[in-house]
Amino acid sequence: MNRKLLGLVPFLIFIFLCVFLYQGLFGNPRELQTGRLGHTMPEFSLPDLMDSDKIWTADSLKGEVYLMNVWGTWCPTCIAELGYLTELRERGVKIIGLYYEQAYDPDFGDQFDINALRQDVNNMLSRAGNPYQFNILDLERTLALDLGVSGAPETFLVDKQGKILLHHTGDINERVWRTKFAAIYQELTQ
Amino acid sequence: MVPEIGYFALVLAMALSLLLCIFPLWGAYTGNLRLMKAAPSLAVGQCILVVFSFLVLIYITLMDDFTVEYVAHHSSSTLPWYYKITSTWGGHEGAILLWLVMQSMWTMLVAVMSKSLPWVLRARVLGVLGFLGVGFMLYTLWMSSPFERLLPYFPVEGRDLNPLLQDPGMIIHPPLLYMGYVGLSVSFSFAIAALLTGKLDNTWAKWSRPWTMAAWGFLTLGITIGSWWAYSELGWGGWWFWDPVENASLMPWLVATALLHSLAVTEKRGVFKSWTVLLAITAFSLCLLGTFIVRSGIIVSVHAFATDPDRGLYILSFLAVVVGGSLALYAMRVAQVYSEGRYQFISREVALWINNIFLVVATLIVLLGTLLPMIHKELGLGSISIGVPFFNQMFAILIVPFAILLGLAPMLRWKQNKMPPLVKKWAVLIAVSLVLTATWLYSSYEVVAPLTFVATALAVWISVATAADLFNKVTVHPSVAIGFKKLGLSYWAMVLGHVGIAFVIASVTLTSAYSVERSVSMKPGETAKLNEYEYRFDGVKEIRGPNYGGHAGVVTVFKNGNKVVELYAEKRRYDIGMQFMTEAAIDDGFFRDLYLALGEPLSAGAWSLRIYHKPYVRWMWLGGLLISFAGFIVLADKRYRSRVKKSSQVEA
Amino acid sequence: MKYVIVLLLMMITAAAQATEDKYNFATAEREQTFRELTHELRCPKCQNQNIADSDAVVAKDLRDKVIALVNEGQSKQEVIDYMIDRYGYFVHYQPPVTPATIVLWVLPVAIIILGFGFIVFRQKRAAKKQDWNAADEQKLAELINQYQRQEREQ
Repeated sequence: MNRKLLGLVPFLIFIFLCVFLYQGLFGNPRELQTGRLGHTMPEFSLPDLMDSDKIWTADSLKGEVYLMNVWGTWCPTCIAELGYLTELRERGVKIIGLYYEQAYDPDFGDQFDINALRQDVNNMLSRAGNPYQFNILDLERTLALDLGVSGAPETFLVDKQGKILLHHTGDINERVWRTKFAAIYQELTQ
Repeated sequence: MVPEIGYFALVLAMALSLLLCIFPLWGAYTGNLRLMKAAPSLAVGQCILVVFSFLVLIYITLMDDFTVEYVAHHSSSTLPWYYKITSTWGGHEGAILLWLVMQSMWTMLVAVMSKSLPWVLRARVLGVLGFLGVGFMLYTLWMSSPFERLLPYFPVEGRDLNPLLQDPGMIIHPPLLYMGYVGLSVSFSFAIAALLTGKLDNTWAKWSRPWTMAAWGFLTLGITIGSWWAYSELGWGGWWFWDPVENASLMPWLVATALLHSLAVTEKRGVFKSWTVLLAITAFSLCLLGTFIVRSGIIVSVHAFATDPDRGLYILSFLAVVVGGSLALYAMRVAQVYSEGRYQFISREVALWINNIFLVVATLIVLLGTLLPMIHKELGLGSISIGVPFFNQMFAILIVPFAILLGLAPMLRWKQNKMPPLVKKWAVLIAVSLVLTATWLYSSYEVVAPLTFVATALAVWISVATAADLFNKVTVHPSVAIGFKKLGLSYWAMVLGHVGIAFVIASVTLTSAYSVERSVSMKPGETAKLNEYEYRFDGVKEIRGPNYGGHAGVVTVFKNGNKVVELYAEKRRYDIGMQFMTEAAIDDGFFRDLYLALGEPLSAGAWSLRIYHKPYVRWMWLGGLLISFAGFIVLADKRYRSRVKKSSQVEA
Repeated sequence: MKYVIVLLLMMITAAAQATEDKYNFATAEREQTFRELTHELRCPKCQNQNIADSDAVVAKDLRDKVIALVNEGQSKQEVIDYMIDRYGYFVHYQPPVTPATIVLWVLPVAIIILGFGFIVFRQKRAAKKQDWNAADEQKLAELINQYQRQEREQ
């Protein structure tokens, strides 16, 4: 009897493993969560994309529930989600852009042309829709690093106190909004 | 028309495989010899058809038939012909077809070379192999055929083979690895056949051993070449990253290594029977699990193929049927198996059992480290990474007792040993090893970290102990010549394998401890010094290959003012896809590698350059070659050929 | 051979200028810490690469941050914690010890204990069954000796 039970052990371990392997098929291993989840927005002081004299800080964003969307015109997926984000804006969701400039590298002393970038962004937003209240320019990607951003697009949901409640990597579409964001957003805005 | 012929050949092959699965198994069950006797010709038939289908794929690739999706996605007209051939296994569908080729060839070999096996066992082995063949053929035909057409709209030019795969390593690495993976299905089939027969005696182990050895040899060679390929191609001089895909090949290797040792005990002493069967099942199960990991996309890896949950689901179902079925069968039969052998604590049996414990624990560490991040995430606990620091730490701990045992075990005899003379011998050998290690390290390096010393001493200890054992075994006979003759090939295999391990340990230790690197920006004419070598950057020249352009940084290396070598570190840009590739320049040597990688152009004509000095790094692959050679020479052992029994008794 | 850049100083090796290192650190220990960190921190954007090997933008940003922090004099663990704060445990290749991950260390140890326990258990059981004693041992040794003598004489 004892030996019989012992012989079953490998089989049982295997079944146990299979359950997880099966679940794993439907998960996305590349989906990441920032270490900042549940913490408040990190301190920063960055200029507005369209007006270098205007400075945004963590404090100046407090008081309202908003989405912070990390994006760039170089990123095709970001362009693709502009349409749906614009729809969200029309439904009253406040969306702030965090402009993530990939090409800029301070080490190389790159010639960075802010006017060309503004032109580019304006063209893009007028074509694909503009979901943003305003855009913060994070040229050296310091806020991005503090937020645990690994690329674009990524989106954070922040509450009135400036607490980060959700982090989504990849584009936002109808399905993602419904399953991941809608309920929490509803709760916050009521 | 031609691709359809290839597809059709596979359909026929699957039909034959289906018969190969049903006829002999049914024949063995009912005691019908005629049904069993159909197996060998079916095995040969399906092999010819699969190979033909593979040749068709090679042909359409060489002909640049871009109406075929696979060719359009993995080849191009400018690709050199030899890379066109390798492109047939550069993508998922083709790789699976290559797997099938290997599977059918092993099946055929077993059919042809097992004439001396009793029919019941032979039929069951071939039947199980046939079943595995059906599983993979169905998968190929149903969801990953390389013969799919892109009609009516097809591209005029293909997308080219991934530049990473345009390397000599790609020509040999996958076929060797698959030879090993699939070869373990033979050990698996023998184990299942033995379980079905219900006779787990040592004859089963005797038959299974040469096949396992061969498969293990190929697997070793495949992993070795893979490591060397990563080192020379990826451009940062790494040779093992503990990536899930690397782990997927390491796990079956570890278990197969345990299996080899356990098979020896089962064959010679008739003990560990049920354990050996379990190892045979586990080794192949881990091959299937590896395939699942690589092709389902459940885990993030650098090497992952295009992923698709449907395909993952199929492989998982197949895995569940094959592994679940065999483990259930195992559970049913294992209670009836008893081992009779008697042995004392200080005996070769116990030493080999401990060897098995360590190898299984090593496998478990790799398995947990590979799968836990996924499970962790599924449990909603967030993402974690398990990589280099974890595995290195665990293996560094595990290798110490393992290597000590590895030196001791060959000196032990079966059943029982007297301790005092052994202890005396060991004390001498340990002293010799320590002195040798100290001489070696302190004459070469100023600083020797304690851990480096310990690890190097382990490698030296293995070599010294193996050499001493060889000396003892040779000199007990009247003359050395006779002594050499008396040693069987499997003894030599053991020597080679163990010395190979010593080389790997020494190499990993010393190259990790004493590799140095510099990242520099250099203008033409400038020199950089690293260890005793001076590197002079002579500027950059343009290069042009068959399907790429780019730059080569020319670097002349000097030692004490004398020119050693001129190196060309390339930065290639492939025409199709515009992908950048770093082609490192390597000056290889027995004691050290000089490794250069060209970076980006900086301001004022300067370029960034990475220079590495890697001592003893070659020893790793040299060790790997020795180990794999151990697997191959056993095949030449007379014991495995002259045992042609004429018995073909049928037991039902 | 057409060189893009024509060389002027080819002949004069001795006069070659000193080369600039890409990363500069105040002490060798800091450089070592930096190298270790770049091999243990994972590029969050990549398939499966550390930040030393990756060319991704975020890997470069993390590398630069590591340099800055190390040059500030932060220890290895402090830098790791800094990164985990931002990118989660995912960013470090060494998993944290938690109730869920403890299995990584406990299971291997348990198997080793079980494996050795099995041998001891088996020996104890075998010893009970066996009535082999010193006298038998001696008898056997004599027989072996006798046999060997015979063989030598032949």
